Amino acid sequence: MPVEPPTPKADGQHPLRLQMSGMSKRYGAVQALDAVDFELRAGEVMALLGENGAGKSTLVKVLTGLVDADDGHVRVDGEVVHLFPTSRSQAAGVAAVQQEISCIPSMSIAENLVLGDQAAGAFTSPRRLAADARALLEPVGLQHLDPRRLVEEISVAESQLVEIARVLARKAKIVIFDEPTAALSDADITRVLAMVRELARRGCGVIYVTHRLREVFEIADRVTVMRNGSSLPPIAVEDLDVDRVITLLLGRRLESMFPSREPLSGEPVLVVDRLQAAGLAEPVSFELRPGEILGLSGQIGSGANVVLRALAGTVPGVQGSATLRGRPLPLRGRHASTRAGVGYCSDDRKKDGFFAGRSTRENLSAPWLSGVARGGWVSRRRERERANAIAGSFAIDQSRLRSPVQTLSGGNQQKVVLGKWLGTDPAILLVEEPTRGVDVGARAEINHKLRELCAEGLSIVLASSDTNEVLGFCDTIATFYRGRMTDVRSHEHWTEEEMVREVMHPVGAPS
Amino acid sequence: MTKPEAMISFSDEGTTEPVAPGAEPPRSPSPVRAALVARAPLLFLVALLAVAIMVTPEFGTAANVKAILANAAIIGIVAVGTTFITLSGNMVSLAVSQSGMLAAVVFLSCVGHGWNQVLAVVVVIALLVAVGIAQGGLVAAGLNPIVVTLAAGAIVLGVVAQLTGGSTITSHGADIGWIASTPLGIPLSVYVFAAVTGLATVLTGKTVLGRRLTLLGANRSSADFSGLPIARTTIWAFVLLSVGIALAGILVGGGLLSANLDTLNTLSIDVAAAVLVGGTAIQGGDGSPLRSAVGACVIATANNVMLLNGFSLGVRQVGSGLTVLIVVVMLALQRGRTVR
Repeated sequence: MPVEPPTPKADGQHPLRLQMSGMSKRYGAVQALDAVDFELRAGEVMALLGENGAGKSTLVKVLTGLVDADDGHVRVDGEVVHLFPTSRSQAAGVAAVQQEISCIPSMSIAENLVLGDQAAGAFTSPRRLAADARALLEPVGLQHLDPRRLVEEISVAESQLVEIARVLARKAKIVIFDEPTAALSDADITRVLAMVRELARRGCGVIYVTHRLREVFEIADRVTVMRNGSSLPPIAVEDLDVDRVITLLLGRRLESMFPSREPLSGEPVLVVDRLQAAGLAEPVSFELRPGEILGLSGQIGSGANVVLRALAGTVPGVQGSATLRGRPLPLRGRHASTRAGVGYCSDDRKKDGFFAGRSTRENLSAPWLSGVARGGWVSRRRERERANAIAGSFAIDQSRLRSPVQTLSGGNQQKVVLGKWLGTDPAILLVEEPTRGVDVGARAEINHKLRELCAEGLSIVLASSDTNEVLGFCDTIATFYRGRMTDVRSHEHWTEEEMVREVMHPVGAPS
Repeated sequence: MTKPEAMISFSDEGTTEPVAPGAEPPRSPSPVRAALVARAPLLFLVALLAVAIMVTPEFGTAANVKAILANAAIIGIVAVGTTFITLSGNMVSLAVSQSGMLAAVVFLSCVGHGWNQVLAVVVVIALLVAVGIAQGGLVAAGLNPIVVTLAAGAIVLGVVAQLTGGSTITSHGADIGWIASTPLGIPLSVYVFAAVTGLATVLTGKTVLGRRLTLLGANRSSADFSGLPIARTTIWAFVLLSVGIALAGILVGGGLLSANLDTLNTLSIDVAAAVLVGGTAIQGGDGSPLRSAVGACVIATANNVMLLNGFSLGVRQVGSGLTVLIVVVMLALQRGRTVR
């Protein structure tokens, strides 16, 4: 029998809400958690950081009762509790807001708010339900919404806030946010972050899991870093800066997140002339030079992604023209577009980026199979060589090429989705949200690799709602607002403040 | 018994790395488990064979084994063709019974009118391929494959009924005995079955088309965004199935020397059962023609055991349906366990 842990101490101001000590969990040969210690005070926001595979998700699963730890003690408000299964975790006051929205789209906001609430009766009148819902929506700033509306009619950010309202209604003691802003644009992130702080102010203990370091400095009080299944002691945010956090995450120093830029020259490789598609309020024109990385920055619905999809040939009814290396670029269908030399990665790699269940190598070779075939027969040897070359240059673990792609980490999956295009020798690469859901280490690797490819003549257009990334990484930045391209400038002529203003509310825009 | 045993020794998981059970992180099904899932119907076949031989004295006779093989061959040729549809994410065709009947009727009608037999075979294959391209084109355009093939089956049946007036078509004494011949004591259809299975397996594993079919079934959106020719690949799946149906129809028509609207009327369920029993995932993206061939042997054996034990057609149909349900439930339980 392990020795009982000492009773938790309070820090004078805030009592210790949660204390986990010696938490261990093993999956087969993988030690996911190795004697992890974790603490959380009431009224604080504790950021939980770590690269993919560091053990964050397993720790969250233990907390929410999805997984039973092999070893270790958990105390909530000083009481030893067992958090497995989920019913016990909920009874102990743990609630989680997930990265993937868990609202039910076809139900009304009010119905979603009482979802899973044992206290709600089976026969509540819609009017009563709506009245209760309004009281819950007000604190999260959604008082303008009619609770009888269906969740599918409201925005992603709003449904995220509805979930937070649900957590508030449950009066949870410990709230876990697992990358709540991954799918949100900057303006919506601000609202969600404000709510997270509000929860802490009301005395909740908040655990905030994220890949975005900026958010950590905006809202967290302390930071716990996990690495290879172990935890480091919590550190107050005042004692940290970005470089220090990255060093802690990686266990080494990262040279720099964004590679340096080279001067651009040469005739444009891509000329887009009066491109028009559903989702754009007016036609868009721009040019792309060899080796250039052009960033289209805008919030969700701004039209930045529409431009990429139109060029990739995935949206019907595109008007206007695009010329790639002097030839008209077909804008109908990915097949013709791929043959013309256009690689494209959408922002949702699970949905349309990779083939779950198939091996990593088959995923890599999908776009260029005919390139390693003769008379319709695939040459396994040439396929293997080309796949190995891509894996080598993108730092994808070569021993995992035969494993199903979904077993790779998020960062490696993104490398596969981007890297597969190298085999087609594309002239341009169109990428939506290149580093979404990717940890800092892999993010820097991807950025450096893309820049390296540009030095060899590839040109890239990317759409990103992460202004920090666009500003740090791109040569040229175009801002989008409500279906219009509002400005294009070289990166040195932008400041972060200007960019945020351009994408959130440009001068002269109707309010 | 040589054929099914040769099937049992197959291995399309030859490339799987040896991994100790439980060595993988959770949520990624281990290769050992996956292999077990794929082989569950095979174990089922062995168990069934054992029980059947024990309770049925006449089961092991040479004549009966030949009968099983001949039956398995017809189901198998079409099941192997159907695997392309299933692999590509388009489930199964509900028009195979009617299409097989069409092939048999047209073939007998052609040779009955004194056509060159090779020409008749070519015409039947061309006609069936045309019917397949029509269905494949509609499915490629985004229509539901179940609805399209259901409708196509009704149309084919209706056209044949209208043209023949429901009467039985015979070969009118044309010399087509070679179709029912048994070189080396094994029915010709079994040779065709083996050849079709071999070709289809190679096509699936080693060609661009085979890879694309599998990728299309694994994730249609990803296949589209990766620049794969979706429409062409889908139509090819239907073309390949149509060739299989044409061959099966010719073998059945030529073997019986007559065909009518009832010919091959249980083929659709038997073929669907064979594909599922074989372990090709109904949602696509995972499976092989070889597995469907094994599945066809299971279904043919099950049919045969029921026949030998004097079950009526009605009972045999219930038996086929139950076999499908049991195997599908078995696979679902296995898969469910590997996911969790």
